[in-house]
Amino acid sequence: MIELKNVTKKFGKKQVLKGVSFTAEKGKITCLIGINGVGKTTIMKAIMALTPIDSGEILINGETLNKGSYEKVTFIPDAITMLPSMKISEAFTFMADFYNSWNMERAKELLNFFNLNETDRISELSKGNTAKVNLILGLALDVDYILMDEPFSGIDIFSREQIADVFTSHLIEDRGVIITTHEINDIEHLIDKAVLLDNGVILKEFDTEEIRETEGKSVVDVMREVYRG
Amino acid sequence: MKIKFNNRDPVYVQVIRHFKEQMATGVIEPGQEIPSRRELANQLKINPNTAQRAYKEMEEEGLIFTEGNLPSRMTTDEKVFQAVRSELILEAVDAFVNAVRTINVPLDEVLPIIEQKYKKECNE
Repeated sequence: MIELKNVTKKFGKKQVLKGVSFTAEKGKITCLIGINGVGKTTIMKAIMALTPIDSGEILINGETLNKGSYEKVTFIPDAITMLPSMKISEAFTFMADFYNSWNMERAKELLNFFNLNETDRISELSKGNTAKVNLILGLALDVDYILMDEPFSGIDIFSREQIADVFTSHLIEDRGVIITTHEINDIEHLIDKAVLLDNGVILKEFDTEEIRETEGKSVVDVMREVYRG
Repeated sequence: MKIKFNNRDPVYVQVIRHFKEQMATGVIEPGQEIPSRRELANQLKINPNTAQRAYKEMEEEGLIFTEGNLPSRMTTDEKVFQAVRSELILEAVDAFVNAVRTINVPLDEVLPIIEQKYKKECNE
């Protein structure tokens, strides 16, 4: 489980996170929802210790983040971080050099799944295909938790469908996923849990099937209540 | 196999409904092997946890069963299939009756319309 307890963060005078607490369980897909600028990416970076937090606590399987944590959690940023001149195969080697948890077999499987060619250069890929390679770099790590920042933004509908397919496959199964998005429609049926965020605070955290069952509401219905109500 | 899900009913309930419709129409037969949880999730594009939940409920309702490590199967009990069919028919009729009653239409006015519509739909 990933636990955030009362996490705060300021950038200069701007208080970006004002006491954020929520949990993300293993084997579940947790979706952080909020418009741009509410602190979604900051939360992910905080979990990965890519940005220091001012107060509060972040625990991964009950431990604070340490060197070994990077073999347990991975972060897929919204843009690829590999050098554009690299071939896909070179990016894979790069990952293998850095991470013990890199699973080359899985990477190849994903490459197939997305119909990509490992001799292609990253700089020559379309936007959608670049996003898919970016995703592979995270998914091919044998880690317990995967954080994905806006995996669907700016991508064509068919690529989005393909990426959504990953969530229903064994590639994600049994792992914990935290995904951020501002467009929930594509994945409403796929997520286990929604965390609604606004202005650095959590407005609501709920189980999506439970809210449909007990209140007959869709995720979008709840969002409308919470954000407009 | 692709279901158009609505967003307000629990997905697992919609999955069970889908199975029941297939049972009632004979698309699935008694004793037939069903996809694994993972296969179902993939086919219907749903979360594997949801597929698991649907199968669990179906098992409790006696619609499916699992023996040891073998793949799960539909029940071999024909009566269950008939019961599911009756359940779906009754549900549809209830919904219809409710809709018609709110506009105060007498039964003898409605019946010929149903007959007429039904024949037309079936011919198309």
